[in-house]
Amino acid sequence: MLETSLYFIQQLLNGLTIGSTYALIAIGYTMVYGIIGMINFAHGEIYMIGMYISFIAISGLTMLGVEYLPLILFITLLISVFISSTYGWAVERVAYRPVRGGNRLIALISAIGMSIFLQNYVRIAQGSRDIAMPSLIQGGWSMGPADGFQATLSYMQLFIFIATFITMTGLTLFIAKSRMGRACRAVSEDMKMAGLLGINTNRIISLTFIIGAALAAVAGLLLGLYYGVTNPYIGFIAGLKAFTAAVLGGIGSIPGAMLGGLVLGVTESMTSAYFSSEYKDVVSFGLLILILLFRPTGLLGKPEVEKI
Amino acid sequence: MKKINKKLLGISASLMMMGAASLSQAETLKIGLAGPVTGPVAQYGDMQMIGAQMAIAKINEAGGVNGMQLEGVIYDDACDPKQAVQVANKIVNDGVRYVVGHLCSSSTQPASDIYEDEGIIMVTAASTSPDITSRGYQMVFRTIGLDSHQGPTAGNHIADKVKPSKMAIIHDKQQYGEGIASAVKKTVEAKGINVVMFEGITAGDKDFSSLIAKMQKEGVDFVYYGGYHPELGLILRQSAERKFEAGFMGPEGVGNKDLSAIAGQASEKLLVTLPPSFDLRPENKDLVESFKAKNQDASGAFVLTAYSAVQVMTDAMKKTGNSDTDAMQKAMREMTFKTPTGDIQFDEKGDLKKFDFVVYQWHADGSKTAVK
Repeated sequence: MLETSLYFIQQLLNGLTIGSTYALIAIGYTMVYGIIGMINFAHGEIYMIGMYISFIAISGLTMLGVEYLPLILFITLLISVFISSTYGWAVERVAYRPVRGGNRLIALISAIGMSIFLQNYVRIAQGSRDIAMPSLIQGGWSMGPADGFQATLSYMQLFIFIATFITMTGLTLFIAKSRMGRACRAVSEDMKMAGLLGINTNRIISLTFIIGAALAAVAGLLLGLYYGVTNPYIGFIAGLKAFTAAVLGGIGSIPGAMLGGLVLGVTESMTSAYFSSEYKDVVSFGLLILILLFRPTGLLGKPEVEKI
Repeated sequence: MKKINKKLLGISASLMMMGAASLSQAETLKIGLAGPVTGPVAQYGDMQMIGAQMAIAKINEAGGVNGMQLEGVIYDDACDPKQAVQVANKIVNDGVRYVVGHLCSSSTQPASDIYEDEGIIMVTAASTSPDITSRGYQMVFRTIGLDSHQGPTAGNHIADKVKPSKMAIIHDKQQYGEGIASAVKKTVEAKGINVVMFEGITAGDKDFSSLIAKMQKEGVDFVYYGGYHPELGLILRQSAERKFEAGFMGPEGVGNKDLSAIAGQASEKLLVTLPPSFDLRPENKDLVESFKAKNQDASGAFVLTAYSAVQVMTDAMKKTGNSDTDAMQKAMREMTFKTPTGDIQFDEKGDLKKFDFVVYQWHADGSKTAVK
């Protein structure tokens, strides 16, 4: 009995860890969709770039002789968020803004092209092989009998929870309380009207891309530390999963993306725990279809009201 | 008049140059080297390319084949079955008649359909899936053993030496990984080993924490993994972080230095079945020196099998001439070739008559020692 519950706790922790990083990436999809109604397929690549920059920054700092780990992580976070945000901003300026007025399909194709471009750019610049980094945060707490199954919460997992929690709270406060956040909400409700009332919509859209990219960079740093491996192709699968999480939670809704990420992560983990890891994707995408059948707007999405 | 002369001179000069160009083209005999130059398993492609290029260089030094110099042309399939088919078509269009490759079994299989139809001789130095040669094809050969041999070698080692009480077999759901995992399962179960888990993962996945927790709960004490190193590296690394202390074993697809880069200390004590270390054979001492002189490593699993792949083709060409690939494939089934991987003979299917895999222990620095 004890073993069964410890096993459940362990799998729940595993699911929440992976789920919280899905949530961080999903926010980028959901915010962009909420404001300009377009799916930014290049977002997964921004996450991948964030991971590469973290790797480069960490090895650079270690080479410079910085040994205090929190300082390394803090500086890496700043560098990675800054450069990834620049990428996010530039992608919007170069690939989306010029085609924004036209058909949405044009922007979608532009996004797919941008994704392929960024993936190949990193492949050429960094090589196509896996780059590895030793684990920086080791150890953890274990629960359970010494000779039986033990549930372990590693410090790394805890770090991911805390970092995700802080980032999410910061974002929620920013959207709810700040002037810019209010402008974001206004633009997402009605872009034309917000423009007429004197909000610089172009700036708000740029800001959305910057925030999304910054969160993806945080996820890139966290997962880079957690897995210790990266390659130019990881953005695609991660982006697909995060996009699923965003749709699951209700695309356009920020709390929805958070919830969707966690639900997806826990579902995956539970499927491999009690069923088979072979069916992990089958079950999570089956769940997505079920939810969309009964709640077409996703878990927390609002039904779209046709504005007259 | 002067003008016309000049023109004539120009024309005749360009004609002469064209003549020279076509002459030099006729002198080289192109061998297609198909395999992953990019992509996650490019390491193995490198092994194949340096082995084959070295063979080509050595044969050219010795005067070439039938008075012609060889030229290796590299084609990148990135170990992707779709790209492999494109590569095969490109090889056909380029008029290349001899191919060393491909590398991943899932690429070799679709590409070999095209070579068989077009009468192009293909010798793979690395694909170990039994299906490739079990379709009655005439043009398809390999200079390496089969999973149906590698599986039992691994399985017998596990059952006779390791003797685990509860074993898990994990694979990556691809032709190569699942094939070899099934072969291992069959062997160990016949010997009474208790296999408690047989599961597939998705190649490209990064998070294996759920799988590891499940193995911990089942009390697994030995894991066989069928697949390639990027996933096994992460499984080893995450297992060490979670203090899951089972023994691990994998096929030759995991045995390269990138594995140690990913898994670090966790890759110590991993068991791997690999082709024997041909580079340690006393006969190959000079050859290994030539690799060293070029700053290349001859110890990779597919370096010398690729060398042999080039050599069997050129030896057959010397016997039958290089125009008729059908005569060549018939000769290849009859001849005995003296190569760096030993004296080799092909059977009717195009497989080697004899090839033994050896169990090695892997070390965290990327080296290996044979397990007695």
